[in-house]
Amino acid sequence: MAPLLEVSDLRIHFQTDDGLVRAVDGVSFVLERGRTLGIVGESGSGKSVSSMGIMGLHEGTKARITGEIRLDGEELVNASPARVRELRGSKMAMIFQDPLSSLHPYYTVGHQIIEAYRVHNKVSKKVARKHAIDLLGRVGIPTPETRVDDYAHQFSGGMRQRAMIAMALSCDPELLIADEPTTALDVTVQAQILDLISDLQSELGSAVIIITHDLGVVAELSDDILVMYAGRVAEYGSAADIFGRPDHPYTWGLLSSMPRLDQDRTTRLVPIPGTPPSLIRVPSGCPFHPRCRYTELVGGRRCETEVPPLREAVTPGHTAACHLTADQRTRQWAELPASRLADDAQAPEAKDPEAREPV
Amino acid sequence: MIYFIIRRLIMTVFLLLLVSMITFAIFFLVPRLAGQTAYQLAAQYVGRNPIPSEIKAVEVKLGLNAPLYLQYGRYIKGIVAGIHYNNGTDISYCPFPCFGYSFRNQQPVWPQLISDAPVTLSIAVGAAVLWLIGGVSIGVLSALRRGSFFDRLSMGVALAGVSLPVFFTGLIALELFSYHWPIFPNVHYVPITENPLLWARNLILPWVTLAFLYAALYARLTRAGMLETMGEDYIRTARAKGLAERKVVVKHGLRAALTPIVTIFGLDLGLLLGGAILTETTFSFPGLGQFTILAIQNQDLPEIMGVVMIASFFIVIANMIVDILYAVVDPRVRF
Amino acid sequence: MKRRSIIAATAVGAMSALLISACSSSTSSSGSSTTPTTGAVAFNAGISSVVNPSSTKGGTLTFDVRGTPDSFDPGNTYYAWVLDFDHLFTMPLFGYKSCPGSCGLQLVPDLATDMGTTSDNGLTWTFHIQPDVKFENGTVVNSQDVKYAIERTYDRSVMANGPTYYQALLTDPTYPGPYKDRSKNLMGLTAVDTPNATTLVFHLQAPFPDLPYVLAFPNTAPVLPSADTGSNYQLHPLSTGPYMFKSYTLNKQLVMVDNPNWNPATDPNAKQLATQIIVNMNVNQADIDNNLIAGNADIDAYGAGVGPAAQARILGSSSLKANADNPVNGFARFVYINTKVAPLTNLHCREAVEYAANKTTMQTSWGGPVAGGAIASTIMPPVIIGYKSFDYYNALTQPAGDVTAAKQQLAMCGQPNGFTTNMAYRDDNPQETAEATALQASLGAVGIKLTLKGFPSGPYYTNFAGDPAYVHAHDIGLAGGGWGADWPDGYGFLDELLNGNAIAATGNTNISEINDPVINNLFTESSKLTGDARTAIWSQIDEQAMKDAVILPAVYQKTLLYRNAATTNVYVQAYYGMYNYAVMGVSS
Repeated sequence: MAPLLEVSDLRIHFQTDDGLVRAVDGVSFVLERGRTLGIVGESGSGKSVSSMGIMGLHEGTKARITGEIRLDGEELVNASPARVRELRGSKMAMIFQDPLSSLHPYYTVGHQIIEAYRVHNKVSKKVARKHAIDLLGRVGIPTPETRVDDYAHQFSGGMRQRAMIAMALSCDPELLIADEPTTALDVTVQAQILDLISDLQSELGSAVIIITHDLGVVAELSDDILVMYAGRVAEYGSAADIFGRPDHPYTWGLLSSMPRLDQDRTTRLVPIPGTPPSLIRVPSGCPFHPRCRYTELVGGRRCETEVPPLREAVTPGHTAACHLTADQRTRQWAELPASRLADDAQAPEAKDPEAREPV
Repeated sequence: MIYFIIRRLIMTVFLLLLVSMITFAIFFLVPRLAGQTAYQLAAQYVGRNPIPSEIKAVEVKLGLNAPLYLQYGRYIKGIVAGIHYNNGTDISYCPFPCFGYSFRNQQPVWPQLISDAPVTLSIAVGAAVLWLIGGVSIGVLSALRRGSFFDRLSMGVALAGVSLPVFFTGLIALELFSYHWPIFPNVHYVPITENPLLWARNLILPWVTLAFLYAALYARLTRAGMLETMGEDYIRTARAKGLAERKVVVKHGLRAALTPIVTIFGLDLGLLLGGAILTETTFSFPGLGQFTILAIQNQDLPEIMGVVMIASFFIVIANMIVDILYAVVDPRVRF
Repeated sequence: MKRRSIIAATAVGAMSALLISACSSSTSSSGSSTTPTTGAVAFNAGISSVVNPSSTKGGTLTFDVRGTPDSFDPGNTYYAWVLDFDHLFTMPLFGYKSCPGSCGLQLVPDLATDMGTTSDNGLTWTFHIQPDVKFENGTVVNSQDVKYAIERTYDRSVMANGPTYYQALLTDPTYPGPYKDRSKNLMGLTAVDTPNATTLVFHLQAPFPDLPYVLAFPNTAPVLPSADTGSNYQLHPLSTGPYMFKSYTLNKQLVMVDNPNWNPATDPNAKQLATQIIVNMNVNQADIDNNLIAGNADIDAYGAGVGPAAQARILGSSSLKANADNPVNGFARFVYINTKVAPLTNLHCREAVEYAANKTTMQTSWGGPVAGGAIASTIMPPVIIGYKSFDYYNALTQPAGDVTAAKQQLAMCGQPNGFTTNMAYRDDNPQETAEATALQASLGAVGIKLTLKGFPSGPYYTNFAGDPAYVHAHDIGLAGGGWGADWPDGYGFLDELLNGNAIAATGNTNISEINDPVINNLFTESSKLTGDARTAIWSQIDEQAMKDAVILPAVYQKTLLYRNAATTNVYVQAYYGMYNYAVMGVSS
């Protein structure tokens, strides 16, 4: 069976007065039904732009999109906007970072869910309303039959995000994209939301893309991880591979700079030096080279001049874009303190089956 | 909500009372503080070459020699309960609401206000419809086509509209479309009851002149509002749900952008209902605005008080309605 | 498809037809039209001849006017244009002969049968009225209606606007008016007797040869006591003239129609030509001018001339100019020089002002020779009976001012370097404002420094320039002003201005506060004289006042009037300085 989502060499460029912004510059990945892909990267790495590209939300802007996006075999980049709109919200749905600003303040939550449902389904308002109440109950909102007439500002943060998720799921999408779904929430609520997404995913069998800069979130949910840097893929592989045997200096940097509970308190965090690059003036060669410690290990200044291709290093299905040889990478990774912790944490944590009281 | 309305209505009454007191003070008390006597005040309402006994008679007739608080009390009593008036041959009764008698022609003020109000209403409401529809549409289109030739052209014209005073645009309009090319010859007010077609025809120039000014303002406001709302996250969500672009723009974008527009519209209309002074004077339309100018020029105090009270009433009511509307439109602002 | 478009086209066509017909002019003309004789249409033709003479009947005569009348109650009005207009619906005892030129300054009987007879050394006047004049409701007018009309003007609390001569001239000045004094069947005024239905006898406090002039005001037009509604009478006065009120919306519009009970044989100075009269009030001047030129209106009732924009247009176009008249309107514009404010208490300082003023710039501020008027050297303008030309301060020979003579006068009054004083003027009158500025400049050239003080027009005469206490307290040496006579002889023009006993505490008209025994005596003498001997006195008073240098004359004011080409019998009635409204008609 064909994968649900296949993205090949997706490029999204914006022509601005300051120059050509290469927001996404050659991203490819595959997502099977029922699996979760985590897209990780700093701000400006192109993660949101690429997922909006999948949803066709760049329509009407100055974006120039090339490449291929196949949703269940159907190519979307060259499809008619009307067709993409048909799929948007019904076959593929998206939830966003800040549910307070992402929900319209003047319409009730129920109205917005009903609207989402009726765009793609010719049903009466009554039926749609019942469906909305069901959905709200499904996502764990108590007394949904009263809360369906409340406005976004009358919900707490966690409840709001649940409502947003309910809206996204109203048409039973096969692909759910969650763009930083927990960034605006408290830590305790974060966990609940992630649990919810995971539960719903197993219930509905949909594929999920979760976009975040938070490795902890990704570790919980993802089957596969895509690390993006400067609009390109830095590393792509299963969660076990990325966390256990990361193969790109950038990923090493991410893991080293992440505080961990099981870490010795006196261990210093090692941040990645420098700042994310401008997407207009992307560094030549490997975009990470200005911040990479290991460029000297690669001879002939290749990091500055040659763009490293995305290729398998050690494990099959695990690709990285780096000029270092596989041996060099293995050695360097082993020398980093984070590697020891990674060994310990090979297996992702088991999910807590307790149903906690939603906040 | 009901309590809100009741509270506001009570406040309205107090506010109008306050306005009446202040207006009364301005026209009656301040000259007195500057040294003007009731005699000198009465002298303004007699003809040429007055004799002292004449001025005294007028002073007594108009009640100017009474203490101010009594004059004010009489005035308020008139509004609330009506007053009797000696017009020489008999005593006539001026019923509630009696805004007194004109100092100049001894005719009751309220009927004059009533007969002038439809003129102002015709001008104001007609222009309001025009500028709301025109201004908002242009604003929306400009926002959606930001940076395009249409956007630049419409905002340029809007700048002109906002900068040019009404009497200038009105006079130019008259000169071009009434005198030079007689498309609208002999522009004067015709009551709608007399001839609806002629009423509308003669109102087109005043409507367009007045609407031009306000449409410009509203176009700019709407454009700014639209640009802001269209950049909001909930627009992105609406699109993500698969809504047609038109629905996104109107139902989600415009709806949110309209909130400040609605409130300003209420205030603008309220102000205009009290008298579109410049427009009426330019086109010689006998509305409350022209009435105001003439009352002030003639220093006709009861007429001035009457028109100020009516204008204040409209403004205060408009404010109240706007506050209510705001809460209706924006659920975040509820009681 | 074709069918639908035909229907649509018909609908559009019908709509436009409706629109077009809805706004076509309502002028219609019935009856035979006489081809107009050579009332030639040319610039100023209306001053000395009748333009477009015609007896064609029919049509609507439309008046536009700025502002409103002070009142259409004939007993309560003093506005110049209303005095003219009232002849459309009133017949006062006397009036001015309806003819162009100086012919129109003649006082003639209107409701009266003759000029009246005096007895008792001029203390008693007897008049007779025509026996067959009717009100619009058919009631025959009798002498008591005339007496009642005069009586009601005594109650100033109801009738505050009109002239106040009766209280000053007649016996029984404390009569309170018929609204308060209901005695004798509302005939309580002892100063006027009505021995029979057609006779009136007036009793005066002192001889007053100009009494018939006083009786030419509309307040002698008869009022039926049973129809009097006090301050509401203005809404529908019962007509004795060719037209009567049909509908009157206050401040907006008056509509009049033919009065069927008017007998033209009794009223040769008016005509009943139009079938409808419309007066539109509160029209702004620019609109009026454009309406006149476009033909939407027939007459600018205010009669003070077209606005500056239209002036330029009319004078610049020969076709438009042929429809214009530039008459002298009987008004003089000048500056009062106060004899009680130092240092103008000294005659020579006053003469310095007379010499130093630049009359040309003053004329320009009033609108130049056409719209402003001719430079004046006397107080009385040429249209006043008794006018004589003289020029003591070289106003005509050296209109830019005589600086040498001025400096000489300054030396003689002990102020060789000039002096300072204040000048009052009406700051909402643009011409008077310009005049004050011009005077400030020309007087400044010889060292007379003026501080200009502007005041609003409304209370100007009651509270400021016309209040001697205020004038003295604020050192107001000069005051802008103007003057039009209540009747066109020297008494009417000069008495209020120059008579010592005219000085009043408020509403003062003798603003110069001149109290010259020579002038006062001349006034007293004039009451004893008649005919040419009396007429000769006026110029003597004028000359004496100019010798006293109490007034700085600016212009004999002119106006630029415009005739709508469709109007008939158009000419300037000299007394009003505007067209005679009572004789006009409209041709198709």
